[in-house]
Amino acid sequence: MKRTNILVILFLVASVTVKAQDNNVVEQSSEKKQLKISGELITDERFLLKDKHDWAWNENRLTLKLDKKITDRSRFYSEVWLRNIGLPNLTSSSDLYNKGIVDPFNLEIREANIQLYGFLTKNLDLKIGRQIIVWGTADKINPTDNLNPLDLEDVLDFGRRRGSDAINANYYFKNNFSLQVVYIPFFRPANLPIGLFANVLNPPMTLPSGMTLKKFSDTLKMPKNNLKESSTAGLRFKGSVKGVDFSLSYMWGYDGLPANTRNIFIPVDLLGGVNINSQLSFMRTHIIGVDFVTSIAGIGFWGEAAAFIPDKKLIMINDLSALYPLSPVPVTKDTTIIDKPYIKFIVGGDYNFKDGSYLNFQYLHGFFHEKGKNNLNDYFFMCYEKKFFNDKLKIAPLGGAFIVTDWSKIKNNYAIAYIPQVSYFATDDIELTLSAAIFDGKGDNLFINLKDYDMFMFKLKYIF
Amino acid sequence: MKRKILLLATLSAVICLNSVFAQDAVTILKKMDDVMFSPRDMTAKMKIIMTDKNGKQVIREATILQKGTDKRIFRFTSPASQVGIAILSLPDDIMYLYLPAYGKERRIASSAKNQNFAGTDFSYDDMESKSYSEKYTPKLLRTETNVFTVEITPKVQSDYSKIITNINKTDYYPESMEFYDKGNNKIKMAQYTFRKIGNYWNTTEVEMTNLKTGRKTKMQMSDVKYDTGLTDDDFTVRKLKQ
Repeated sequence: MKRTNILVILFLVASVTVKAQDNNVVEQSSEKKQLKISGELITDERFLLKDKHDWAWNENRLTLKLDKKITDRSRFYSEVWLRNIGLPNLTSSSDLYNKGIVDPFNLEIREANIQLYGFLTKNLDLKIGRQIIVWGTADKINPTDNLNPLDLEDVLDFGRRRGSDAINANYYFKNNFSLQVVYIPFFRPANLPIGLFANVLNPPMTLPSGMTLKKFSDTLKMPKNNLKESSTAGLRFKGSVKGVDFSLSYMWGYDGLPANTRNIFIPVDLLGGVNINSQLSFMRTHIIGVDFVTSIAGIGFWGEAAAFIPDKKLIMINDLSALYPLSPVPVTKDTTIIDKPYIKFIVGGDYNFKDGSYLNFQYLHGFFHEKGKNNLNDYFFMCYEKKFFNDKLKIAPLGGAFIVTDWSKIKNNYAIAYIPQVSYFATDDIELTLSAAIFDGKGDNLFINLKDYDMFMFKLKYIF
Repeated sequence: MKRKILLLATLSAVICLNSVFAQDAVTILKKMDDVMFSPRDMTAKMKIIMTDKNGKQVIREATILQKGTDKRIFRFTSPASQVGIAILSLPDDIMYLYLPAYGKERRIASSAKNQNFAGTDFSYDDMESKSYSEKYTPKLLRTETNVFTVEITPKVQSDYSKIITNINKTDYYPESMEFYDKGNNKIKMAQYTFRKIGNYWNTTEVEMTNLKTGRKTKMQMSDVKYDTGLTDDDFTVRKLKQ
């Protein structure tokens, strides 16, 4: 209730300020105040390269962007996705009565916010409402960027996040320094991959010898919906000194991907068959971040590091009590997953060559879904692209990643993701893209889990 | 001995004469800079028309804000695929690119200057608003009825070995420029159209012809306003994102 009141009060203050600013500004042209509607239409189709070329992805997305300059110092912005996504999964004739199953669609409000520039004081900008707040200087993969929940629906679209309902204040000091304060009242977890990708993030489960899994279920424990438990807060100080842009950040929030805290084993037969119920919960985490970006001898350099400090140790308890009914005490086996802080980091660079080509390289330690010092892997990302015919054609023959999960046994613990791409602008606003994704390697990591999903991809984008 | 004295005298005369010409060239170039870069600040709309050798046209539109010779924000307003994309140029080769789709500014490596500006036939070098006197050493080649023909060679690293420019004798604005690559081949030509707005001469149109590809890029300026009181605060990342 209190939280609602605070939000209502803030919204009222914002509205009053917009009105006040309205009265202060000089009359503007109606052209400037008009609601601008823009957006894009994307068709994204993918099929597997093996066997009968099963469809791997079907998405038709209409993005609508509404943008209205309310006054010289205030603005409304909204972005909505209306999509047909996925392939029909009909199992009975009753499904035929449901349009949502026959032709799956969804609507998503990605952003909807009011921006106030020079709010109360000329140096303060305020953004209230659903928004995507981007932190970090690296390209698409940002260990310091954790405010918004991950949108893992399309696992190949690294770094995509959903909007959060937030209050975001930026105070600008002189000399390019600024301080950002963010408050997100409601916790929203990450959404997981869908379709063929649904299980790529699930860790492999090893059962004690003699046991066979009959049924698996899980219980997700969400933080309570109150100010203390569901809030996320962040602070970021940003500046530029001698050609180096940097920022220091702190976030108090949750890891949006749940962790397994308890597995309850229940025997179902005398042959070692068990049912397992896993309890999943979200870890409250402090994240301290630092990033920089600069340009030396024409080469762009950037780096980011984030220290993840969990509120408490993460211990996974395997509860075997049901297997030992005569034991006077519970029989459990504990495994410590995280007992101390761990650091994820990324460094990278890029260069534009005189012939119009572009090279981008990044080294990452710890992908978005990895937790705990001993579970962080090394990723090398590279992209080389060249434009032709006055930028109408773009070819990226070298694109992808090389992953090492164990340097001491690299032969059996690596993965390669090769993603070449060709884009062609049929007109100024219509882009056609053909690409492929080919995965190979050995061991256990995200990209190995995609090994059976080598695919060909076609995308059409019309921007209006 | 006499021959040596004569040779020395001739050499001295040539050196003196050259320095007189050089001095003149320096003055002429300085006057051209005064014409081109004298406003304290400027806002304008820009239309970029790119025409390939088959006559096919691509049009882009943008707004431009400039303060002094080293601060500029360039923001695309058309076509739809480019709307909102903005470039902030600051002193010391610092450049930021704002892509609305990513929601954040991106510092650009200064090697981006190797590329053509926004897919046009202008390089970032051509678009830079630094004065020519700062960047080039001038040499007066000849004086014609209406123009001074001045050759300018770069003082610092550049894509060009030299530029030959024809400067209007009366008002000191450039009428045309010819750009030469490192192999001394003429690669581009620019034709300028100037118009006086208030106290300042304004480039209403520049047409750059790429002699290699046959493509032409025309930049037309409109709604030009000078000295509107832009401040350093108008050329920040904060403003770039608004």
